[in-house]
Amino acid sequence: MKRSDKFRQANKEARATVLAAAAVIIFWCFAGFGLADSSITFLHTPLWVWTGCVGTWLFAILVTLFLSEKVFKNFDLDDKKEQK
Amino acid sequence: MGNIINLLPVLLFLVGMLGISAYIQRTSTENRNKDFAKDYFIGGRTLGGFVLAMTTAATYSSVSTFVGGPGMAWIIGYGWLYMAIVQVIVIFLVLGVFGKKIALIAREIDAVTVIDVLRARYESNFLANLSALVIVAFFCSTMVAQFVGAAKLFEAVTGFSYVTGLSLFGLIVVIYTTIGGFKGVAVTDACCAVAMIVGMCILMGGMMTVGGGFDNIMEYISTKHPDMLEPLSRGKMPISLYISQWLLVGICTLSLPQSVVRGISYKDTKALHRAMIIGTIVIGAMTLVATWIGVLSKGILTDSLKAYGSVDNIIPIAIVKSLSPFWAGVIIIGPIAATISTVSSLLLATSSSIVKDVYMNIKGEKGETLSNNQVKIYSLAATIILGLIVYAIAIKPPTVIWQINMFAFGGLETAFFWVLIFGLFWPKANKYGAIAAMGGGVLVYCVTMAMKIKFMSLHQITLGISFSLILFLIANAMGKTHDEKVLRIFFPEKFED
Repeated sequence: MKRSDKFRQANKEARATVLAAAAVIIFWCFAGFGLADSSITFLHTPLWVWTGCVGTWLFAILVTLFLSEKVFKNFDLDDKKEQK
Repeated sequence: MGNIINLLPVLLFLVGMLGISAYIQRTSTENRNKDFAKDYFIGGRTLGGFVLAMTTAATYSSVSTFVGGPGMAWIIGYGWLYMAIVQVIVIFLVLGVFGKKIALIAREIDAVTVIDVLRARYESNFLANLSALVIVAFFCSTMVAQFVGAAKLFEAVTGFSYVTGLSLFGLIVVIYTTIGGFKGVAVTDACCAVAMIVGMCILMGGMMTVGGGFDNIMEYISTKHPDMLEPLSRGKMPISLYISQWLLVGICTLSLPQSVVRGISYKDTKALHRAMIIGTIVIGAMTLVATWIGVLSKGILTDSLKAYGSVDNIIPIAIVKSLSPFWAGVIIIGPIAATISTVSSLLLATSSSIVKDVYMNIKGEKGETLSNNQVKIYSLAATIILGLIVYAIAIKPPTVIWQINMFAFGGLETAFFWVLIFGLFWPKANKYGAIAAMGGGVLVYCVTMAMKIKFMSLHQITLGISFSLILFLIANAMGKTHDEKVLRIFFPEKFED
């Protein structure tokens, strides 16, 4: 990969990361505030706590898995070595 | 006075940290003889994914993850947990946005610190010195505050005096940071992160036993304190607080220099990808368990806040109430690990700012170059002297330290947010914009904090970040875009196809 292509890829990954963070924020809103009025409880703890707190954590892990599998690409960080 | 036996677990842990650092120092002699600054301040760019994840998470989570946050959760309830969980984004955000680009650039220009990168990008010694000043002032006050928090907790839980605790872990962390350098800090951080998680789990277990199980404690809370089960906690957690926290401990942490510098330190892209996943798992687990402990301690500490003194006393009392002195001595490792892993990183970053970014640069300007041996002596001396000063201040901290510390987190974010984002992603950004954004932003932030001026009852970070952006754009319009030579390093994609 050429140095310029690595930078293009890094820019793309940075944009995807920002979108991923936005996705987590949106999930957090719906899973917490969105379900706050539900009367369902589990272990005397309301549903929104499970979805909004534990759920947001799990969702964030899924998002990073998606990023690293589908968006992020491996390349050599040392181009000086490549040129030589 | 506590029983010395109960100190054994902490002692063993701290001696272990010293051992690891000593080992790392021995194994990196060769690299240090070649290029001391690169090995000492950045670990020779060899971190793997696991260590990168753990050191970023451990540096980020501090004594307040254990004490202040859970204490607030005891008052507010699940709203506080819901707010704290915003921190799941911090690791993947900083590594994903800056990680690769800064790694590529650092290799190109042989950068060791974030300031090296900023100096090269904006071609301004003034900006570099201003950055160093911001880092030294805010990092030092944060380190003192961390020491004080942990020493108070130590006193409350073990019965040994404040100064005993402070001297014990304070001096050890200074020594192991000095000898181990960045790699030592990273590996000990990883151990600290593990210790934190283990400590939290033990405490959680102890509380369950005392409180009669999770279900039982929750039944008590849902009958006696139903407000704790609502996200807004009947007005105690307003929406503005949620928005503020998303910025302050979520999005804006993107620019904390102690996190960004980790982007220079890893080995290859695989390590970065793994670190994003592991880091998110770890930071989320720590936040969830620690804050949840705070909520559940309501079932054990059933009096009003008055009976316990202050929010910061909640967790120490919960520890003493739910664990035997021996186990309390074991889990105190958790918050101490959180403290020393933050202090070690800040200490090294501060000494690198002084030695590498300021002193070596002044010498370089005069055309003098330091020998590798001189760099070694100055770096080691700066680290240990600085560490000892922080330790000494923490024995009896003056009020001014608290004032600076209050500004530290948001101040660092304001200072570096736009300067880093525009510097790495906007070719037209120039030094006038950067200087105005950093200087003006920090000033606006600190003044509004000091005078308690708020906009729509949002935290002052919103004002700091907004003014910093506006100042950047205005001042940037007055300056010229940098030379092609610089831009080719930072934006090669704009020049080649």
